[in-house]
Amino acid sequence: MESAEDWLVESLRLYQDFHAFDLSEATRVLEWIDDKGVCVAGYESLKKNEILHLLLPLRLSVKENQGLFPERDFKVRHGGFSDTSVFDLKHVLDTRLLVTSGLPGCHLHVWQVTEDSDVIQAVSTIAVQEEEGSLWPRVAVFSSMAPGVLHGARLRGLKVVDLETQKTTYSSGVGDSEELSSLQVLDADTFAFCCASGRLGLVDIRQKWAPSENAGPGPGPGAAARRWCAEVGGRRRGPGPSIASLGSDGQLCLLDPRDLCHPVSSGRCPVSAPSPAPELLRVTWAPGLDDCLAISGFDGTVQVYDATSWDGTGGQVEPVFTHRGHIFLEDNQTDTAPLVTTHTWHPHKPRTLLSAASDASLHVWDWVDHRAAC
Amino acid sequence: MPEIRVTPLGAGQDVGRSCILVSIGGKNVMLDCGMHMGFNDDRRFPDFSYITRNGRLTDFLDCVIISHFHLDHCGALPYFSEMVGYDGPIYMTHPTQAICPILLEDYRKIAVDKKGEANFFTSQMIKDCMKKVVAVHLHQTVQVDDELEIKAYYAGHVLGAAMFQIKVGSESVVYTGDYNMTPDRHLGAAWIDKCRPNLLITESTYATTIRDSKRCRERDFLKKVHEAVERGGKVLIPVFALGRAQELCILLETFWERMNLKAPIYFSTGLTEKANHYYKLFITWTNQKIRKTFVQRNMFEFKHIKAFDRAFADNPGPMVVFATPGMLHAGQSLQIFRKWAGNEKNMVIMPGYCVQGTVGHKILSGQRKLEMEGRQVLEVKMQVEYMSFSAHADAKGIMQLVGQAEPESVLLVHGEAKKMEFLKQKIEQEFRVSCYMPANGETVTLPTSPSIPVGISLGLLKREMAQGLLPDAKKPRLLHGTLIMKDSNFRLVSSEQALKELGLAEHQLRFTCRVHLHDPRKEQETAMRVYSHLKSVLKEHCVQHLPDGSVTVESILIQAAAHSEDPGTKVLLVSWTYQDEELGSHLTSLLKKGLPQAAS
Repeated sequence: MESAEDWLVESLRLYQDFHAFDLSEATRVLEWIDDKGVCVAGYESLKKNEILHLLLPLRLSVKENQGLFPERDFKVRHGGFSDTSVFDLKHVLDTRLLVTSGLPGCHLHVWQVTEDSDVIQAVSTIAVQEEEGSLWPRVAVFSSMAPGVLHGARLRGLKVVDLETQKTTYSSGVGDSEELSSLQVLDADTFAFCCASGRLGLVDIRQKWAPSENAGPGPGPGAAARRWCAEVGGRRRGPGPSIASLGSDGQLCLLDPRDLCHPVSSGRCPVSAPSPAPELLRVTWAPGLDDCLAISGFDGTVQVYDATSWDGTGGQVEPVFTHRGHIFLEDNQTDTAPLVTTHTWHPHKPRTLLSAASDASLHVWDWVDHRAAC
Repeated sequence: MPEIRVTPLGAGQDVGRSCILVSIGGKNVMLDCGMHMGFNDDRRFPDFSYITRNGRLTDFLDCVIISHFHLDHCGALPYFSEMVGYDGPIYMTHPTQAICPILLEDYRKIAVDKKGEANFFTSQMIKDCMKKVVAVHLHQTVQVDDELEIKAYYAGHVLGAAMFQIKVGSESVVYTGDYNMTPDRHLGAAWIDKCRPNLLITESTYATTIRDSKRCRERDFLKKVHEAVERGGKVLIPVFALGRAQELCILLETFWERMNLKAPIYFSTGLTEKANHYYKLFITWTNQKIRKTFVQRNMFEFKHIKAFDRAFADNPGPMVVFATPGMLHAGQSLQIFRKWAGNEKNMVIMPGYCVQGTVGHKILSGQRKLEMEGRQVLEVKMQVEYMSFSAHADAKGIMQLVGQAEPESVLLVHGEAKKMEFLKQKIEQEFRVSCYMPANGETVTLPTSPSIPVGISLGLLKREMAQGLLPDAKKPRLLHGTLIMKDSNFRLVSSEQALKELGLAEHQLRFTCRVHLHDPRKEQETAMRVYSHLKSVLKEHCVQHLPDGSVTVESILIQAAAHSEDPGTKVLLVSWTYQDEELGSHLTSLLKKGLPQAAS
């Protein structure tokens, strides 16, 4: 493909480093296991799916003498087989356990990764509230002495289950049937939820259900059809918004946890809206850069934004960088363009991201910030 | 018990020292004869005592096959054939035959001249070893002897690399050597037909990796070269493997054109000379019936790349130079390296593995002060980059090859069993085959069920058909005959024909049974009664009353005689041959039940 060659030459200027891999099946999850490896998993419904624990090429972990490490490949450190599709995977910190969720949505699966074998073993299942149709429970993990799994497909079914005893330690206890889009554990006692409608809330599990929340973004054209996801960022310094909320129409809102009803800032991203797969929407905060976010789920790109430059009026905002690798390096020549299924930032390399697409590609890229030139 | 036995030779499970012993259909074949590059003593050679402890290797082995010219696959060959002792045939492809001795000689020079090794093979040994080589073409079936045949398949990887099928009768094994399933710019990808071997043996060194795309590797190379040239530096790229050099040249040329770059690119004279020779090998090799998945172009005509003159090394300004030899151990590349090493703007890109003892190996280990001849110390300030361009099959590639060949079983060598359990399960589940992972020195035995063709005589078949009852495709049918084995030929014929052919007389087995009947009349009358009774009961058989008074049912004879002591009892003598056993038993039980009372 001529354009692939052109893009590759262009990429010399755009990226410090760039790796492109082909997995045997596409993944919707990219979960870090310490900072040296990630887990990916297949999401097909009619066959066995693989769960893989991949180690990043050494050169991405070493700080010096990178030139002396010729290996650019991922190493499959562990692998396992799942009979069900995997839509979400969470690592239980400081343990060798993984929790997965997918369809059918009546069970969560717990897996173990061992040192002396490279097979990921199924350990147990956690039964969850039966849900109809295509709903599946979102998952987040409270890591502590006794890890607990927070899960739910709707607000009414939100529970925390002790991983070992399988006893329910917390329950939302509400009858609200709003569908959940994401769950995120913030510390030992708090978690955040985002509903598909855009309704956000922060919950303290030491109290009975009394989240500080908003009612959801106001009505507007096509409001009912919009779907939202959100992420709470660990802010590195100073006050300011640390919650980002992304709608399937391309609207990106930044909120302060102290006042969820009034976004601090918002902008409209130049994406082909509405997203063809709103469930795949993802917004993430850069752990190493202030006020930087990445979004994906609209097409075959990942876009990086710097929110400090926004005027906050909700108008069009421009990304500081757009990763187009999944479009240009697509080998399959199928009719459907690849769609980015998920992305994640490297824990300590500030501008390095990993992104996966529906054509089973997996990229690791380190973008160059051309604005930084003096 | 028919079986195939596979033993990877040597100790330890590191990469290198590929050498596998296969026993199939009574034949013994050695696959590859590699050197382990990490050891300086006998550990670098495979342990040939596994083959035989006191016999001559030539007597034990039917042939040796070498997959390609890399030293970890052929490095121990002269040692094996000339120092341990083997005089049988050594099979390899034509390009491998051409390139192997060059590499072996290079290696010998480094080992003996640079490292001062004593017990190493000599130049003459390399020559004598190569005299035993029989070169083969792709897809050509080569008869090693009456029963053993081999065939080479295209493996990609490097020039002349092949996968080999070894066949004895209906049993076969395919050995892959090193191969790649993703095409590269000048060699393309491996290919095999659906040959369905009993066993597929494949290297699994890279089995647990997922490879970075070729484009990203190339991008990395271009980026490095570009950065160095932009800052006014000089880039040295030591190469041996012709082919790899060509590939990088095509890459740079395309890039230079697109970016309109002016810095000169040079190709050292040593390389240009070898290039013609390489070109001839390359054209014949890649024109053989292989899938053409790579760009066809003249590999040796470039617009931006010129022949190097040693004087150019002192020219100011940026430049890129490809020079031999590849490990910086001698010659032009080392000369250039010495001139450029002191400047941090310069760069050296090592494109592959370097043997211990070479300058290449030292700088790749991080050494920055090198002791050269005459105790001169060279300080290396130039940037050192290590890039891996060799194409190997990763997990995905292995699955692809297994899918193409459709073996009954798969055997993975050079992997650590604990780290490959997942891949084993993956292969077993996806292809429903058994997957083995022997350690070096461990033998895997595969039972096989070879099909033996047997010719059935037409007469025998016809006789079976005449029994009535058409053959049922779903049910096995029992057939009686005699198997004659003669001159590796198997025939199933009727017993009579066998006897005739072999000139043997048939033995007859005859059974006689006595049935006592209460009947005071004369024997003739008893016989008559027996006849009438049997005639009415055995309607489907031929019952006859003979003039001498005896009764026959088919070929069974019944005679009535008077009992010696009791006139009221008659003795029926029933006699039949072995063939009529069933009817005979039936008759006997029938008669034992007694005769119906006579009417008159």
